[in-house]
Amino acid sequence: MIRFDAVSKRYPEGREALIDVSFAVAAGEMLYVTGHSGAGKTTLLKLIARIERPSQGALEVHGRNLVRMKRREIPRLRRDLGMVFQDHRLLMDRSVADNIALPLVIAGVPHDERGQRVRGALEKVGLAGRGKTAPAALSTGEQQRVGIARAIVAQPALIIADEPTGNLDPQLSEEIMQLFVNLRATGCTILIASHDLPLLKRMKQRVLVLDHGHLIDDVPASQVA
Amino acid sequence: MNASSQAKPVRHSRMAMWRRQHAWCLRDSLRQLVRRPIGTALTITVMGLALALPLAFYLLLANVQRLAAAVGDSQAVSVFLKTDVAAGAANQLAANLRSRTDIGAVTVRTPRQGLAELAAMQGFGDAIHALPDNPLPFVLLVEPHAGAERAQVQTLVQALRALPQVDLVQDNGQWRARLDALVALGRRVTLLLAALLGAAAVLVIGNTVRLDIRSRAEEIAVQKLIGASASFVRRPYLYEGAWYGLAAGIVAVLLVLVLEAVLAEPVRDLVASYAGRLHLGGVAWDTLAVTLAIAVALGWLGAWMASSQHLARLGNSE
Repeated sequence: MIRFDAVSKRYPEGREALIDVSFAVAAGEMLYVTGHSGAGKTTLLKLIARIERPSQGALEVHGRNLVRMKRREIPRLRRDLGMVFQDHRLLMDRSVADNIALPLVIAGVPHDERGQRVRGALEKVGLAGRGKTAPAALSTGEQQRVGIARAIVAQPALIIADEPTGNLDPQLSEEIMQLFVNLRATGCTILIASHDLPLLKRMKQRVLVLDHGHLIDDVPASQVA
Repeated sequence: MNASSQAKPVRHSRMAMWRRQHAWCLRDSLRQLVRRPIGTALTITVMGLALALPLAFYLLLANVQRLAAAVGDSQAVSVFLKTDVAAGAANQLAANLRSRTDIGAVTVRTPRQGLAELAAMQGFGDAIHALPDNPLPFVLLVEPHAGAERAQVQTLVQALRALPQVDLVQDNGQWRARLDALVALGRRVTLLLAALLGAAAVLVIGNTVRLDIRSRAEEIAVQKLIGASASFVRRPYLYEGAWYGLAAGIVAVLLVLVLEAVLAEPVRDLVASYAGRLHLGGVAWDTLAVTLAIAVALGWLGAWMASSQHLARLGNSE
C-alpha cells in the first residue's frame, strides 16, 4: 500500500525534514507515526498525499510512483485518500452534511447516493441526525468527527490523519482513536501522526518513531507497551 | 469482511461525473451570489448600465438610418420649376431630361400632388385649407443613372440649375452624404463605446471574482487537498461570472425596453408627421438575444481572467 525507500525531503530553505526514511505499510494495516515537534511527522504525511515531493528516494502509494507523478495526476491520488487534519479544516459557511459530501461531489457521485453515504458516515462517527447543523455549533470533538466522516465518506483504501487528537482532551482523544480502530475493521489502511505517547501505548498498534527526520524505530504492535 | 471488498474508492463514468460536477458548480455559484445580495446587485447594476449604453446608442443609430431612408433617396435631385411653368412645359422638360445619358429616371410631381402630400403631414392640414389657391410649382424628381459618381451628380445639378424653366435645384445627395458620414461616425463611436464599456464590464466582473477567490482561499485549499482538479476548483467562479453577465444582460435589455417605452409617444408623433413614410422601431429580439449572449461571454471572460491569475497563485503549492 505504502512504500518509502530511502526517502529524504529537503525544503527550499535548506531544512532537512526527512532523511533516508524507509518503511512499508501493508493494506489494511493501522500504524502511528510519532516523534517530537519538528521530527518530520507532518512532512511524511504530506509526501503520501503528494502535498510535497520527495527530494530523494522512491515513494509508492497504491502502486503509484509519487516521485514521477505529474501535477495533473495528483487529484486522482488524493481522491483515493482520506485526510484528517488537526484543525479539522471544515468549511464553516456550509452545513455538516455539505462538508462531508464534498469528496463525493468532487468524485461526481449522484445526489441520492451522496445523501445515503453522508448519513452512513455520520452514523459511523456518532453524529447521526446532525447533518443540517452548522459546524460552528458543534464542539471541538464533534468537529473532528465531522472531519473524520469527510475523510471516510468516499470509502478510501487509505486514511492519513495529522494529529487528529491534538486539540482534544484525553477522553475525547481516546474516543477518536477508537473510531479509527473501528474503521480499520472495515478494511482501511490507516496512518496517524501523533505525539501523544501514552495514548499510542494504549492503542497497541505498530508505531514508527521519527527523530530529527530520521526513522529511529519501527515498533510492531506486539511490542508496544 | 475483507479489505478489498470494503475499502473501494468511489468510481463513476467520466461523463456522468463531469455532468454532476457541473450541476453542483452551477448551483454552488448561484448560492454564493445569493449569499451576498447587495454586492451581487451592485455588480449586476454597474455591468447592466455599461451594457445598456451601447445598446441604446445602437437603437438611436438604427433609427437615424431609418429616418434618413425615409426622408430621401441618396442621389435624387429635386428640380422646382418656376410657378408660371404649365403642365405641358413641365412634361416636355421631363421628356427632354429623360433622353440625357446621365439621368436614369425623371418623375413629375404636380402641384396638386405636392399639396396633398403636405396636407397629409401633421400640422399642415389647416394651413393648407386656408390658402386661396395652390402656390406650389411642378417638381421634377431626377434620378441620376445608376452608379453615378458624386462629381457626376454635381455636374448634372449645375446643368439643371442653368435651365430657364428651373427656379431651384435641391441636391438631396449632398445632405444625405453628410448624414451618411455622420451615421458612419456614430457607428464607429458606438463600437468604440461598446468595446470600452465591455472591457470595463470584464474588469468589474474580474475584480468581483478576484475578491471572491481571496475570501474563499481556505475552501479552495480544502478542495485541492481532498482531490479536486484545477478545473473543478475554477468552475464555480466561471459560472459566477456567467451568472453576473446574464443578469447584467437582462438589466441592460430591460433598461433599453424602458427607454423605448418612455420615448414611444414622441416617436409616434414624429412618425405621424412623415405621413407613413417613416417607420421607427425598437431593438429587434435577435439583437437582444445577442446582447444577452455577449453579456454572458463578457462575464465568463472576466471570471476566467481573474481565476486564471489568482487560482494559479493559490495553487503554487502542490
